[in-house]
Parts: sequence; C-alpha cells; structure tokens
Amino acid sequence: MRNKFKAMFAAAAVATTSTSVQAEDKKVNVGILHSLSGTMAISETSLRDVLLFAFDEINANGGVLGKQINPVVVDGASDWPLFAEKAEELLVGDKKTAVTFGCWTSVSRKSVLPVYEKYNGLLFYPVQYEGEEQSKNIFYTAEAVGQQAIPAVDFLLEEGVKKFYLIGTDYVYPQTTNLVLHEYLLSKGVPAENIGGGSTKDSKGKVTSVGNYTPFGHSDFQQIVADIKKFSASGDAAVINTINGDANVPFFKEFAASGLKSEDCPVVSFSLSEDEFRSLPAKQLVGHLGCWTYFMSIDSPANKKFKADFQAWLKKTDVTGVVKEGRVTCSPMVLSYNGVYLWKKAVEKAGSFDVDKVRAALQAGISFDGPGGTVTSQKNHHLTKNVFIGETLENGQFEIIETIPNVVGEPFLKGTFEKK
Amino acid sequence: MQKLHQVTLTILFLFSMLSFSSADTADKEARTLLSRLILGEKDNQESALDALDGNGSKIIETFYKVGRVGDVYKCANDDGSFTVYYKDGEFYYNLLDGNQVTEPDNLEKARLGRSAKKKLSKLADFVYIYSPIDQERIDAVHKFGGSQKPEFIELIRRNIDKQPNENLKQAFQESLEISLLKNGTHEEKLNAISYLSDMGSSLSVDFIKAVKLDSEAVLNDEAAEEEVKAEASALTKASDEALKSIESAEQKKELVQSVFFGVNRGSVLLLVSFGLAITFGLMGVINMAHGEFIAIGGYTTYVIQGWFASAYGVDSAAYEWYFVVAVPAAFMVSAFFGVIMERGVIQFLYTRPLESLLATWGISMVLQQLIRLYFGAANVAVASPTWLEGNVNVGGYTMAYNRLIVVPVAIIVLLVTALLMKKTNWGLHIRATMQNRLMASSLGIRSSRVNMMTFAFGSGLAGLAGAFLSQFDNVGPMMGQTYIVDSFMVVVVGGVGNLIGAALSSLGIGVIGQLLEFFYGSVMGKVGILFGIILFLQVKPGGLFTSKSRSLED
Repeated sequence: MRNKFKAMFAAAAVATTSTSVQAEDKKVNVGILHSLSGTMAISETSLRDVLLFAFDEINANGGVLGKQINPVVVDGASDWPLFAEKAEELLVGDKKTAVTFGCWTSVSRKSVLPVYEKYNGLLFYPVQYEGEEQSKNIFYTAEAVGQQAIPAVDFLLEEGVKKFYLIGTDYVYPQTTNLVLHEYLLSKGVPAENIGGGSTKDSKGKVTSVGNYTPFGHSDFQQIVADIKKFSASGDAAVINTINGDANVPFFKEFAASGLKSEDCPVVSFSLSEDEFRSLPAKQLVGHLGCWTYFMSIDSPANKKFKADFQAWLKKTDVTGVVKEGRVTCSPMVLSYNGVYLWKKAVEKAGSFDVDKVRAALQAGISFDGPGGTVTSQKNHHLTKNVFIGETLENGQFEIIETIPNVVGEPFLKGTFEKK
Repeated sequence: MQKLHQVTLTILFLFSMLSFSSADTADKEARTLLSRLILGEKDNQESALDALDGNGSKIIETFYKVGRVGDVYKCANDDGSFTVYYKDGEFYYNLLDGNQVTEPDNLEKARLGRSAKKKLSKLADFVYIYSPIDQERIDAVHKFGGSQKPEFIELIRRNIDKQPNENLKQAFQESLEISLLKNGTHEEKLNAISYLSDMGSSLSVDFIKAVKLDSEAVLNDEAAEEEVKAEASALTKASDEALKSIESAEQKKELVQSVFFGVNRGSVLLLVSFGLAITFGLMGVINMAHGEFIAIGGYTTYVIQGWFASAYGVDSAAYEWYFVVAVPAAFMVSAFFGVIMERGVIQFLYTRPLESLLATWGISMVLQQLIRLYFGAANVAVASPTWLEGNVNVGGYTMAYNRLIVVPVAIIVLLVTALLMKKTNWGLHIRATMQNRLMASSLGIRSSRVNMMTFAFGSGLAGLAGAFLSQFDNVGPMMGQTYIVDSFMVVVVGGVGNLIGAALSSLGIGVIGQLLEFFYGSVMGKVGILFGIILFLQVKPGGLFTSKSRSLED
C-alpha cells in the first residue's frame, strides 16, 4: 500500500519535471569501496556482492526517500594509498556519492579517514577491528574488541580455562587486541605467567606488545606449536588466535599434527568466518571456537529470509565477477548489509541525504532487525548487537553454543581495566 | 603398516578382554550408557556420563573419536524408538551390539555437546592409558598426573611396572610425581621435586611453581607453626633449585629442537628449490615461473584427492593412498608443463638470459591467472591421508609426520639427481650441454632434446615439492609466489650451478632461520636471515661454491 502511494507520488513528481532532470532526481549515488583485485579481493568481493544485493532489495521496495540507489563501485585493489584516491573520487567529482560502504583492513580505513573528514563524507566500516578510533565521518558497524575478544575470553574463563596463549599476525589489529586482552585478563585475576606467547616491555617497564607474532603468509609454525604444546601441557589452556588470512591453514595443520585437540586446548579465532572456511580443511578445525556477531547457522526467520534472498539474488544477478556457486554468508557480510539499512532508516528519519543530518539521526539511535538480531546505532558511532560464540563443525559451519545479547560497542578499551 | 597396527590393536584388545573377566559386562554397560547419552534428556545425559566414570571400555574411546568429528547418528525405528549408529572408517556400526551394518536409511546426525565431548575426552583417557600407541598412552597418563587428583595415584602407580619400555615408564613415573607434588607427604613432595628436576621435566614447571607459591604463603603466614615453616622453607628451596635446573635443561632441549626444526625447514627449502637449482643453476634460465610449477604440483594433488574422494569415498581404505598416486602425478604434470614451456618459449632464449627472465615472469602470471580461472581465486583445501597425520615422539622431541616425510624425500631427490648426473649417460650429456651447448651438439649430442628433458626434470621436481607442500601449507594461485624468493635465495647462496651447494645452503638457511626464530621470534627471524644473506653475498658474491670456469665472461 505504502509502496503504491510512493509510486503514485513519484509518478506525479515525474509529470511535473523535465525528462533529463527526472532520471538524475530519481537516483542517489552510493559508493562501494572495496578491493576487487589483489590479495584482499577474496574476502572483499563478498562484501561488494552483499552490498549490491542490499541495494537491489531496497530499490525493488521503492528506494530511499523515493530515490533509487545507483551503486558506484570503485576498486581499492588492495593498495592502501589508492583507497584514499578512490575515496576522493567518490566524494567529489561528477559521481558524487551520498554515502560509502567499504574498507576491510584497518590500514585501508586509516588511509581514507582523513579524506572523509576533509570532505565531510560518510563511511560505513563493516569488519572486526581493534578500536582506539572514532571519527565523526565513519560509522563502525564492525565488531569492536569488546564485542568479540572480551566475550570470548569471558566464555573461556567460565569454562575453567586458566592459561591463555596469544598468537597473531604482526600488524595493528592483533597487536592492539592482544594488548587490550592482556589488560583484561590481568583484571580478571589471570597471573601474567599464565598468559603465553611472550611480551616485550619498554625501558619504563610498560608492556608494549603481548603475544607471539608471525609475518603475513607465514607457513612454518613448528616452533610456535611446540611452544603451545609445552604451554598447554599442564591443562586448562586455550589459544587466542588473531592470525589473519591463509596463514591459518599451516597453523591448524601443524596444531592438529602435533596431537593437540580442541577438547584439551581450544583455539578461539577472530578472523575465521564461514567465508574463510571455504578454503580450509574443516576436519582439523572441528571443535575449535569462533566469536562473531553473526553466524550463518543462526536459526531465525530473519536470517532464513536473508540467506534465501541472497542466494536467489546470486542466481539472477548479471554483475560480472560474482561467484555463484558454494556461497555462504558471514559476519562482515551481514554487518555491511545492516549498515545499508541503518543508513536508509537514518536518511528517512532525517528526511534528507545531508551527511550532518544523517549522522545526527544515527547518533540518536536507529534500530534495524538484521539477520543476526536487532542492531542499534550508538552515539559513539558503534553498534549495540548480539554476540555469538560458535563451535566449528566438520562442514565449516558453526554451532552456536552461547549467545550474549545486546553488547554495547566501545572503541576505547585500552587502559580501562583495573589490574587486580 | 596401517594393517599391522590394526592387527596388533585387535590382538591387544582381545587380550585385554580375556584378562578382565568383567570387561564384557563393562562394555555392554558402556554401550547402553553411551546410547542414553545420545537419546536421553539433558539430566539423563549427565547421569549417563557420570556413570561411565572408571568404566574404561574400548568403545568409549571409539565413540569419542567418531563423535568429535560428527560421525554419530540416530535412526528412528518403526515403533518410534531410536537406534544409535556410528561410523568408524567407512563402515557403520550399531552402538548397542557393536555389529557392523549396511548404511541404514534416514540417518539423522546426532551432535555431541561441547561439555559431553570434554567429559568423553577425559573418559577416553582411561582407554588411552592402555593404548598400544606409546604417544597416546603418554598423553593420557600426563593428563591423569596433571589433574593432580588423588584418586588417580593408584591407577598410575600400579601401571608403572607394566610398561614395556623405559620411555613409557618414565612418563608414568613423571605423572605420578606430579600428582604427588600436591597429594603427597612432605617427604614425597621433596622426592618428587628432586625426581622431576633430575629428569628435567618441562611438564612439571607449573606444578612446581604452585608448590613454591604455597610454601611461600606458609612462610609469610604469622600463625603457622615452626615445624610447618621449616618444611615450607625446605620446599621453597628445593623447588627454586628445581625450577632453575629444569629451565636450563629446557633451554638446551629447545635449542636442539630448533635445530631439528631447522633440518626440516631446510629439507622443505631443498625440495622447493632443487628444481630451480637445475633450471636456473645448471641451465641458466632465470625461471620466474618456478613457483607456478610448485603450485601446479599442489593443484594436481588436490585434483587427485578429489578423484579418489568421489571414486572411493573419503572414509575408504583406498582414499588413504591418494597421496601415493598424487606424488608421481604431480611430478609428471609439472614436467609436462615444463616441456610445453621449454618448447614454446625457452628454447629460443638460451642465449638471452635476461629475456628469459621477462618471458618466464609473463608465463608465471599467465599460469596464475589460468589457475584462478579454473579453480577460483580462493585457496583449495587439501586433506592429508590419516597415515600422514599425527606425530612421532623421538627422545622427547615431537615431530609431525607430514613434515617429517619431507626429510627423507629431500635426501632421495638429492641422491637420485646426483646419481643421474654423475653415473648415467644422460647425466653426462646434460653436463656437456650445460657447459657449452654448441660444442656439445657438434659432438653429436642432441642438445635440444637434452635441454627439453632437463627443463622438464627441473619443473617436475618443483611439482613434487608442491605435492608435499600441500600436506602442511596452503594450495592457492599465489602459492608459488611465497616460495619463489626462498628458492632463488637458496640457489644464489649455494652458488649458481652447484647442486651440492643448493643442498648445503638450504640446510644452512633452514637451521639458522629456526635458531633466529627461537631467539628473536618469527618476524625478526625472517628479517635476520635476509640480512645475513645480504652480508654473506658481500663476502662471497658467488655463493658457497663458485663454479670454476675458464671462460672470460665469468
């Protein structure tokens, strides 16, 4: 009924304006800024797909404020400075966009941040990150450390885990996450010697880095796994894994080959979602844990509809480069999708595409019932959402073993935990 | 090997059945309880798990093993009741009577909850402690000892003397002493500390630390009696010394372990770079597509694994042997691509090495893109056969089979190539051609054919490396890129044109790299080794072994 009304209204509007302006007037440009080539393409292409799906879904239902979304897709090409250039393209120039959905790696986000602040643009960022940042021009639909690492550690502590081994790839997200976790574990009464992986201190005795780090694409985990085996020999140990990308394969192969089992020493991974499992031998990961704000296995009508609609869209879409077979949904995808709808609602509430007005609407709190449950935007540009802890199954899906509802997103956690 | 294992296992199992008259009833009871665990309500499940305590039937271990990977099923009967089945290997069994059955219709997966799995894992240890596999026994007894529960002391103690070898006896004694650290009398605690300290037990460090903390707490306690304090002070002193001595023993052990890891890493490097040592080192083709030949080997393994999985099913005995087929196939397929590349491009470029660099680089990109088009951009998952999973413990050093196997393979490849080069006619022809193509052909050697075969051999070796890499590393379109730098590094450090040099340099880079990683972590390890190589090449620009030549251009 409402749609009909809208359509009539639009038709009336069309009748009164000249044809050349109509087409422009009925459309709003929306930017997608992801790597469609280079090393990150494997992960980021999925986000482009789900964003296009969300746009089509919205357009089919009458668009935003009566305007059809016109996607402007640009390729960051896994090249961080290029991200900034492409962001500028989206913010000025003839294809000026009202909002951008994009970025995966923290370094790409850091690269475009000054651009969005300079031109007062609006960016929705969908991938788990380390926090310690809050720009007025970015909305972080992503999991903050408090929505992933902290609940996971709480769960393990409840399970009776006493020793934690921290391991990650050497860059900003694992380093920062582990520093926060280190503080958190100490505040929970875990003694420093029960936090494995080593730590470095500066000359004043302040801890500057905790955990064992490997370069990107590391493939020889013999030493690290031997160290974990020794560490976990006394029992009640767990591994907190922030290794990124395909280095997880040799790690888990080595882990399993050394005789370590998930029952004795579970590994909680923060960077392995259903999408990554497409290229992992799941057998070695069975029983290990994951923590996200969405799992494909969530049993809710909203999620079922989302999955079915996405698969249907995949079938009929004619966008080039969309992989149609064996597709799964995962947290970064759903957080991208949620972002689009939050933006739509905010625009409708503000009654305008103006960035300042939309921001004010989002800051006041917009809720959306997404596939992973209700998400609500907060004043600090993060989201309140449900957190799930899942156990890996042999088919690469997760069985949800714990749900923590309505966890508030808080970017600044470093230094907030008192040492006991 | 696998067969033999199964036979011994069965014999041992039968033997244990005979020796315990109650084993049969225990087995029956365990099966009933496990079935209740799957079919019962929540309370019922918990009580079933509790009732399994101390049962120790073989079926618990089997059930745990299949249950943790989701191979337990239930199936509705006509009367509305359920029967539980499990799948062990390729066959289905009825849980209650243990009989093998043909795959029943409408099987429904029955999931074991996380807590049930954890509990079962503990229960399975009662079986593993009698396992015919030493390592399983050791892991189990260590867990009993590490739990420090007084009820297990008797179990460990009465089994010490039954252990067939020293290694096992020591593991049992170690576990007993660890348990006594908490549960023993003062004398026993002191003895335990000295025993563990003497054997340099790394496992016991945390437990000795706990003793130290406890006794320090007593020392600081004003209200404690003098006698208690004296005991505590003796314990503090003993544990302090023990910790120091274990730590120093530990460091030595880990140093040796790093060297082992280094030998392993070196073997991987050798396998990966040996093909290049031939195509680049001997033939002088700067082969930038070497990495892609490795990837082709990896993908061949993946494809063959897929064939075996679809033809025989992943649980069948035949599937286990896919790797044996994949290794020669990987060699052949990569060699085939090598022939095409040599005939198509390289043969025109022998006199123009720099152009061969550009051409092979282009080919490498084409091959990468072809892989992407055909197999997709994402990595593919290659599963290891069971006989390559697991590990072996040699003198306290754990080594994974999938990596260990690379060491003998690298040695074999080295020996075969050396024999080929030095002892056969073909080798003679190769050496002659590589020294001087024109001269060799004027002496009647079909140099173009020799070139082709040598290039194919080098490419084939890269494929072979890819097959072995697939067992512990990623298989993806970019797979070759991660190894091409390492390969050139090995060949250049070893001295271009020298196969023994390549072997020594990969061993050196492997061991030094692992030692650096041991001391400074993996990031600095990698930086250190690159820096070291740059310095080394300043001193010896020709690498370890420089080929002596009278020609002017060298």
